[in-house]
Amino acid sequence: MIHLAFKNFIRARGIRAGLILLLTAGVVSLLIGRQFLNRQTQAVSDVRAAQQTDFTRNIAIHQDELGLLLYYLKFSLVNTSLPISGLSMGQRDINPSIQSVTIRALESQRYDADLTNPANLLLGNLDFSFVLIYLFPLLLIACCYNLVSDERESGTWKIVVVQSPNILSAIYRLYAIRVGTLLALLALLFLLAIPLLRLPPNNTLAAFVGLSVLYVLFWATVCFWITSLRKSSSVNALLLVSIWLGLLVLLPTLVNTYVIARYPTPEALETTLAARKGYHEKWDTNKRQTMQAFFGHYPQFQSIPAPKLAFDWPWYYAMQQVGDDEASRAASALRQKVGQRETVSRQLAQFIPPLHAQLQLNELARSGLGNQLRFQEATGRFHEKLRLHFYQRMFTDTPVKAENWNRFDVQTFRDEAPVSGLAGLLPLLVFTGLFAGLGWLNFRKTAEMA
Amino acid sequence: MALDALNLTVAPGEIFCLLGQNGAGKTTTINLFLGFLQPTSGQALINGLNVAEHPQETKQFLAYLPETVMLYANLTGLENLDFFASLAGFTLSRDELRSLLSRAGLQAEAHTRRLASYSKGMRQKVGIAIALAKQAKVLLLDEPTSGLDPKASNEFSDLLTQLSADGTAILMATHDIFRSKEVGTHIGIMRAGHLVETLPAADLTANELEAIYLQTV
Repeated sequence: MIHLAFKNFIRARGIRAGLILLLTAGVVSLLIGRQFLNRQTQAVSDVRAAQQTDFTRNIAIHQDELGLLLYYLKFSLVNTSLPISGLSMGQRDINPSIQSVTIRALESQRYDADLTNPANLLLGNLDFSFVLIYLFPLLLIACCYNLVSDERESGTWKIVVVQSPNILSAIYRLYAIRVGTLLALLALLFLLAIPLLRLPPNNTLAAFVGLSVLYVLFWATVCFWITSLRKSSSVNALLLVSIWLGLLVLLPTLVNTYVIARYPTPEALETTLAARKGYHEKWDTNKRQTMQAFFGHYPQFQSIPAPKLAFDWPWYYAMQQVGDDEASRAASALRQKVGQRETVSRQLAQFIPPLHAQLQLNELARSGLGNQLRFQEATGRFHEKLRLHFYQRMFTDTPVKAENWNRFDVQTFRDEAPVSGLAGLLPLLVFTGLFAGLGWLNFRKTAEMA
Repeated sequence: MALDALNLTVAPGEIFCLLGQNGAGKTTTINLFLGFLQPTSGQALINGLNVAEHPQETKQFLAYLPETVMLYANLTGLENLDFFASLAGFTLSRDELRSLLSRAGLQAEAHTRRLASYSKGMRQKVGIAIALAKQAKVLLLDEPTSGLDPKASNEFSDLLTQLSADGTAILMATHDIFRSKEVGTHIGIMRAGHLVETLPAADLTANELEAIYLQTV
């Protein structure tokens, strides 16, 4: 019987076209993901090669002056892109995955980004998570909006009710066929994604798949609930498309507007100005005073003799350091605000399943704002370590040749922050259960009605 | 109020034909037996069971043929019959399905065509086959011959006579006075929700019945 019901579904006009369209969009999204990963890999190997040639060239030119050499040398830190980030790029396409810093003041270098195509930024990437979050529900709605209601409208339902001793199971079958078809399509896309993006079969992939399946089920229960209200097919379609629009466009926009208004970041400009002013003013400030400020931060270097010449490197780097120090209050306030935005967004998203699913997928793929913030912190630590190491060398007049430059390869940051696996599924589970329950209650009362 | 103080009984082997103008309450009566409507007072019994209290059980005794049979347009006649028969719990072979469709009067070449291409009469025949497949004790028919050509209509009458001979109780709403006289064992005439007359069909000629009908409504 179920194969006949399936035939009836799959032979319907437009269904096959819709499925093929969704499959195509899915495959395209995987290819875009692959392209993205290739670009990331290419960028890393480019940076690695550049760092090596750059080091050799600069060392050859500036072998007498460590301070000058370090003015030019850029050290790179790479934010590892997991293969799964090809499925959910999150912010990786707008935020840099590689930060290259000199040991000069950090704040002015922190936001140096890759070159990106602004048109691309406007549209966003068609990655797999877009297909999943935006397009899957649309096709599910197209498949399910008129379930039961169109049979009521045509009169078939009367015969179904009279024939079937258990009408609820007939309704479940209608849904199972449609949801099953879409889940099969989802499974096919994952099966294609594994070799295409070389996804390792690990817990992250399992959580990603689980979340995707649950997200599709969430929409299935929304359709189930709406169709249980015993409205006409056209009203169902209108309600479902409105819900889609509300959950995917309207509410996320409102949340974004609220979060930005609630946590404004005047500190962004303040940091830039403070860092710039903090450093530039020092050209005209008494050198001794600058050094005192520097020693305040790093008392271990107090033995450095006071600058006698018009220019000396310890003083130059102290200026840079003090620039960072003077911007540090605003900088940490900025990071805190952005962190708060992330926290509040995630809290509100728990009530907006598509937004939650998107954030959670990004979190799993290590491509979200959380990852970006942790990468920035790691960049800070990386910069600090380099700075301390070279201050030591510079202030003790270590010759360039005495340094083993080969050990300064490109460094890699691996985001090990715990990801909430099961807890991340909870909001979706709650809503899925809620709508399934509501739909069940309604259908129990109305299923037999013609 | 759609129905008032309506009292009718159809025994096994009887064919009760309900006559009456549009809106007299024929379909409402059938819907009460189907359980699609709940009576505000009184009860509908199938095989001694109250429909409102035992909707699942009473439906098992029922087969129903609406005025316009709407089935799944994307399935063939055979597939539709197969689907609706299995809904009722019957697993039939392809030959059994085909013979049911033929018995209902559907030409063999149409069996494997999709329902979208069927005429109203052909759909009606698939509906008849579905009702036959269920081997129901009670047959509820709502203007079943509307849309059937005279020959098909005649074949359908023969089918009903056969079924009633096998002990099926049949309640049929219709506008066809002559057909009801021919096939019915009892004739009921409804007006504004009341069953005004109940007559044994054998005692009347078709012309007498028409005269009574015209006087009554």
